[in-house]
Amino acid sequence: MPALIEARDLSKNYGKQTALDRVTFTVDTGRIVGLIGPNGAGKTSALRAILGLTSYHGHLRVLGREPFAERADLMLEACFIADVAVLPSWLRVDDAIDFVAGVHPKFRQERAAALLAKTGIAGKRRMRELSKGMKTQVHLALTMAIDARLFVLDEPTLGLDILARRAFYDALVNDYMDETRSILITTHQVEEVENLLTDVIFIDKGRIVLDSSLEAIASRYAAVVVTEPQLAAARALGPFHERRTLGKIILYFENPDFAKLAACGEVLTPSVSDLFVAKLSGTAA
Amino acid sequence: MNRYVWLIRREFWENRAIWMVPAIIGVALMLAALFGTVQIDDLPSLDQTRAIGGLVLFTFGVIFFAVMNIYSTWYLLDCLYSERKDRSILFWKSLPVSDTATVLAKLFTGVIAIPLVYFIAADVATLLVAFIVSVRAHSTLGSALWHPDLWLQLQVLWLYLIVTTAIWYLPFIGYLLAISAWAKRAVMLWSIVPPLALYLLERSFFGTHVVGSLLQHRAFDYPSAIFHDTSERGLWPPTLSGGASAATPGSVWHMLAPLDFLSSAPTWIGVGVGVAFIVAAIQLRLRRPEA
Repeated sequence: MPALIEARDLSKNYGKQTALDRVTFTVDTGRIVGLIGPNGAGKTSALRAILGLTSYHGHLRVLGREPFAERADLMLEACFIADVAVLPSWLRVDDAIDFVAGVHPKFRQERAAALLAKTGIAGKRRMRELSKGMKTQVHLALTMAIDARLFVLDEPTLGLDILARRAFYDALVNDYMDETRSILITTHQVEEVENLLTDVIFIDKGRIVLDSSLEAIASRYAAVVVTEPQLAAARALGPFHERRTLGKIILYFENPDFAKLAACGEVLTPSVSDLFVAKLSGTAA
Repeated sequence: MNRYVWLIRREFWENRAIWMVPAIIGVALMLAALFGTVQIDDLPSLDQTRAIGGLVLFTFGVIFFAVMNIYSTWYLLDCLYSERKDRSILFWKSLPVSDTATVLAKLFTGVIAIPLVYFIAADVATLLVAFIVSVRAHSTLGSALWHPDLWLQLQVLWLYLIVTTAIWYLPFIGYLLAISAWAKRAVMLWSIVPPLALYLLERSFFGTHVVGSLLQHRAFDYPSAIFHDTSERGLWPPTLSGGASAATPGSVWHMLAPLDFLSSAPTWIGVGVGVAFIVAAIQLRLRRPEA
């Protein structure tokens, strides 16, 4: 099965500023991929290019299509939530469902209505009358009722409280995800999504810093907790990042010799957020 | 095709003023007919009542037509700007609707749908007012408003104006859409600046008035483009030609010049320019979703 997203040497410039610098990656079916990077790293540019919202240089195919030239066709099989604040304020919830049903052949209206019924939001209400959390639920109901193969989310939970965020991701994983679909999600709140991701792509200053499945991370990266006496021995093994917390020192290694590491201290698989910080903070102090 | 119906419905949801403004005008006119008083000193003759009737119908039409033009100008200038301003364009773009379809639906709404709403509102208001006046007046004046021939002429005139306005003013219409898709803010100001700048630059550097006279021609030569010879203009409604002399009843049929209009070069040059602007608006919506 071909990749859902295939990017090769993908670049995007805004004037002289480079937002994406010859980026190459793929997203396969059945994956939940986190595109993670600090603000201004190029995440949003990458998403915009994938969704056909902006022009780009290089090779990019999404569901076999060229996004910028074929956005309308692409949206038959891909859907996205680019910040939930974009539902027009004047739109009634019922009208939103009718409208999407009217223009989207792959939209299942009963499903949207059922999803919405669960939220208890009255159909007569306008978006401007809803709280941000409610808007999120409406948007998610609208989007999850589309029989799409790719679901792209750009900072979907920005500005939501913890309850709404949790509900959002639970719905996404339980009601939407299956092996025929993929989700691509950008966020800089890594902790929040790391339990649901199958793959991560770290991006910084327009370049990919890391592209790996979570299983591969365990075999490729290690964090070793050492105390002062073992520090020199551990440093000799070439950590790429070092962090001190409450008397402990944690050293991060890429492709290490696990046997030698174990001799220095407790070896752990770094969490995605720790790895993110380690990777982006650069070389050992 | 069904998709376009939804796109146009969406415009009506967003811009409730499309039907609320004509409804308010209609209600105001009806209130005036219900409670207003008109002092007429001499009892008018039959011809004069016909003339007055024609004038009343015509005035109603003018009121609706004038407001409609102001509103649809504003609509065209706003429609591609507001979706960028509130970022809802990101929602619309998540649906399988092309930029071309969206811009064409907005164009149709501004140029055909809104005028039709005003046309219908004008008709309904006129009929209701005529009914109210004839019940209240019980007189020749009341019956003066019931002239099927005048009424029919007014219908034809309305439809003729809607179609010819859409064609003749297409350069302006397309331009408004392009500005709406382009400007980061202050669409109103941006719609005025480029032509004004061109005009001033041309005048100060070349001392000529090509831009000015082109704009002037497009803006003000519309009546002569769609009606016959100027001397005959003003024949309709009958009162405007100084009373309805029975010998030469003014008629809209004599005035309309659809064949001349459709076969004149300026008409189609304008259409070409308008189409270019509309294509520009589509490209702008495609390329700068969130400028």
